[in-house]
Amino acid sequence: MKSFVCRCEQVVAIVRKDFVVSLRRRAALAAMMMFALTATAALSLSTSGVVEPKILSALLWVIIFFAAGAGVAGTFDDEAQAGTLPTLKLYADAQAVLFGKMIHVLASLISLTVFIVPTFLILFDADVADGLLMVATLLLGLIGLSAAGTLTAALTTSAVAKGGLFPILLFPVTLPIFLPAISLTEAALTGAAFDGGSLVMMMMFDAMLVTAASILYDYL
Amino acid sequence: MTAIEFRDVSLSFGRREIFRHATLNLRGGRVIGVVGANGAGKSTLLKLAGKIIAPDAGTVALPEGLTIGAVTPEMKLYGALTGAENLAFFARLRGKVLSPEKIFELGRRVGLEAQAFDVLAENFSTGMRQRLKFAVLLAVDADIWLLDEPTANLDDDGREKFFTEIRDAAPDKIILLATNDATEVGICDEVIRLPL
Amino acid sequence: MNKILIVLTAAIVAAIIFFVPPIRGLGELAKIIFFHVPTAWVAVIAFFTGAWYAAKFLRTNDFTADELSARAAKLGFVFVLLSTASGAIFSKLTWGAYWNWDPRQTTIFVLILIYGAYLTLRSAVADEKVRAKVSAVYSLFSVLTVPFLVFIVPRMFFSLHPEPVLNSSGRVQMDTVVLIVLIASVIDATLLFVQLMRRS
Repeated sequence: MKSFVCRCEQVVAIVRKDFVVSLRRRAALAAMMMFALTATAALSLSTSGVVEPKILSALLWVIIFFAAGAGVAGTFDDEAQAGTLPTLKLYADAQAVLFGKMIHVLASLISLTVFIVPTFLILFDADVADGLLMVATLLLGLIGLSAAGTLTAALTTSAVAKGGLFPILLFPVTLPIFLPAISLTEAALTGAAFDGGSLVMMMMFDAMLVTAASILYDYL
Repeated sequence: MTAIEFRDVSLSFGRREIFRHATLNLRGGRVIGVVGANGAGKSTLLKLAGKIIAPDAGTVALPEGLTIGAVTPEMKLYGALTGAENLAFFARLRGKVLSPEKIFELGRRVGLEAQAFDVLAENFSTGMRQRLKFAVLLAVDADIWLLDEPTANLDDDGREKFFTEIRDAAPDKIILLATNDATEVGICDEVIRLPL
Repeated sequence: MNKILIVLTAAIVAAIIFFVPPIRGLGELAKIIFFHVPTAWVAVIAFFTGAWYAAKFLRTNDFTADELSARAAKLGFVFVLLSTASGAIFSKLTWGAYWNWDPRQTTIFVLILIYGAYLTLRSAVADEKVRAKVSAVYSLFSVLTVPFLVFIVPRMFFSLHPEPVLNSSGRVQMDTVVLIVLIASVIDATLLFVQLMRRS
């Protein structure tokens, strides 16, 4: 029990440290936001903003996925390049590092979403019929994306060409979130009846990704 | 007194064999110098002792519950945090909350002036960074010290302060000091020469 | 073993050409199904074999396991490509389109992506110890998505794909000759895979 308490303290310390650092070094966050904005503008311009809900929800998730790639890929590598990763790993417990990073990634993805979803809806002149479903779907999707993204970022730390590698590795393992998220987002936009089973499936998959990331990270 | 034990440890990097069936007993309460030519495995021995890397074969046994701290060239501190924030962060990871007085005292021990703590670490000079790393080691109060050429970039004042701290701490710690510097070797109680 | 495999393969090819009746309305080319099913089977077997050796590597740190895991992935990648291509041809003959994101096409395409990602990851990491670790972790991480895809994908996409040989009703809806040849070809392909894995 004692070790668990210590670990929580470490997680909080790491999240807070990452928050301060990302406010002072805004590049990753700014790149992620601008990527999402650029992609949204490009799509909206090229389609004159007239897109049916099914395609629209797919576009939204594709934007979130690749923007996350731009912002999350460097989670561990930035520290590895700066030489702080060995120090962090020495002084903190491995699981605390993983969960600290995961929470930080989730927080940055949530801030990305808070910025890009309203912008996206305005530029495509779309309305949300079921706001609660929209928020739930986004949150569940982002949790899974953070868990898988954090482990993937850890895997690509010592790889070359990681900018291209990260989305390649991340996409297959997040597909079980991606597919239900798109159909649920469509239902949230149109107000049509939705498959509650998909929400449960997303929750289960999120839980599995977090657990698997936690177990597998110890082997890295 | 406790000790770090290497039993039948082998490790290579690609075709470069560093240790072959090495058995070592690193006893605490003294400063153990690790010397040897470049590439002989000084830093590697420290990393094995700190469980930072695992051996290919054999075991490295650490006493239960001992904490590890290090001052090595590859372990850097956060450039985007101030000196004080770096200290507070690493101390927090080990469950310690530092008061401003404590930070001031640590600064005095390693020779960092109070105003340096409000400056981002990226604006530190090499020597100041080295002193800050050492302050982190003192702040977390680790039981095992892994020191890799700790005074390489320091002026005479800094070296004097570091040596005093290391000598003062030695009775309660396991201290490994990897070096080829004659003065650093001079403060060791015992010297291990690599290759074994 | 190699000789037995060659004879078995030749016998199966002969049986497909001479004994198996032409599939009604589809012509001789539709016999590509005898190539498609075994290669798909091996692609899936290789995927789980790779994950098994990955787990073995993480447990034992034995680099032979890492090599076997990598070899299973390389073989699996070849087989999954062959299977996808032959499946697309069969799809064109029967449903008039090479590709329609049928659930099984989707699943096998994900398999291509995973194999591709795994092999790219291996080529991107220079240090052999790190490479073995990260690729084993990715192999196990990706294998976890498969059961979810099997559940989720059919909810999302409508299927045209024929029922598996052993379908839910437990009855085999196939000509006996066709069935025997199909099973023999699956066994042949599996043995081929085993033999390729053992090759030192």
